[in-house]
Amino acid sequence: MSKKIRVAIAEPSEILRAGIIDVLKRINALDIYIIEIADMNQLECVLCKYTPDLFIINPTVTEPRLTGKVRTLCGNNKMKSVALLHSLADSHTLEHYDDSVSIYDSAEQIRNKIIKLFDVDQHKDIPKELSKREKDIIVEVVKGLTNKQIADKLFISVHTVMTHRKNIAAKLQIHSPSGLTIYAILNNLVDL
Amino acid sequence: MTEKIYKLGKYTPADSMSDLICNNYPMLLVLSRFGISLGFGEKTIREVCHQNNVDEQTFLAVVNLLISSNREENQDFGNRSIQCLLDYLHNSHSYFLDFRLPSIRQKLLSALDIHHDNATKAIIRFYDLYVEQVHTHMEYEETTVFPYVRSLLSGIKRGDYNIRVFCRQHDNIESKLSELKNILIKYYPPGNADELNSVLFDIFACASDLASHNFIEDNLFVPMISQLELNVKKL
Repeated sequence: MSKKIRVAIAEPSEILRAGIIDVLKRINALDIYIIEIADMNQLECVLCKYTPDLFIINPTVTEPRLTGKVRTLCGNNKMKSVALLHSLADSHTLEHYDDSVSIYDSAEQIRNKIIKLFDVDQHKDIPKELSKREKDIIVEVVKGLTNKQIADKLFISVHTVMTHRKNIAAKLQIHSPSGLTIYAILNNLVDL
Repeated sequence: MTEKIYKLGKYTPADSMSDLICNNYPMLLVLSRFGISLGFGEKTIREVCHQNNVDEQTFLAVVNLLISSNREENQDFGNRSIQCLLDYLHNSHSYFLDFRLPSIRQKLLSALDIHHDNATKAIIRFYDLYVEQVHTHMEYEETTVFPYVRSLLSGIKRGDYNIRVFCRQHDNIESKLSELKNILIKYYPPGNADELNSVLFDIFACASDLASHNFIEDNLFVPMISQLELNVKKL
């Protein structure tokens, strides 16, 4: 579910940087890696080196066109930029950024903006309900059959059995045969 | 956000022991594993450690690491600290194996409904398999790792083992317990809610204790022993 997002934060104020990082920490669904930039002279160099997915910058410390420049300079076209606003900013400045967050935004608001930018749809995951075939597989696993035996019995390849088992583990968060046994009994898949 | 008052920074020898415990009640477990009993009145951490013959540096290292999750870099530990941590880890093992895990089994048995006989059997079987894994995991530390460390403490570096081997094999033992908790929460049919809740609380707490226990091993014990290995090599 969690997608790796590298976030570069360009903000000279240490207090604000630490604050932003702390708020990002509270965003659970995302797997965030932080690159801190305190010295604006190193901005381009750091951005090219680490090719972040998201770039949060205080718009008053740099020229607005920087994002576009960096995108072409390091071929990192997918990099999103977000302006970090301490106070009101004019729309002309902001049009150079994909979005903006205010230092008064809540963690929830910031989270939603990031999720929107990266199109991390948390509900896009595979449906949680088991398919008929997956239930068949569970029944055989509970009986103690090996992957090979299950494959032979259901006329599918061992590889397919393994894929099913991986999907079952992902959907149910149950990884062991003994755990699947409990599941199967409680859901009336088997009658031991 | 839950409102909670917390101490900024680390606990020091001069802080009061009762403040530490009242503000961080999971530290009760740490106390008993160091062999410190309650009833310390207004005494400071230093006084209580001294009185109980516990190395105060080790005690504070464990406590601060558990509370803040940050390790203090370049902390130098002497042999006394290592011996003290060994005792702590050993007591921690017996706490899980001889007390905590059996008591959860007992509670599980009484919480599970007799009408779901097969399910109960499967759940207990799952649990027993799990406990066996924990046994193996801790047994390995008791019979391989700790004797290795004791021989290091006496100045002998055996060629056939080093702490990195332990580090690589050291897996998290709480995840399977969490699996059981998920199964019960998601699929167990309605029944005796109070008893089931109580055992679930225990499982949650035990899983997090086991995680803390492993955390101490990975982040305090292993670095201590790596340092000791270096020191012994230099001799």
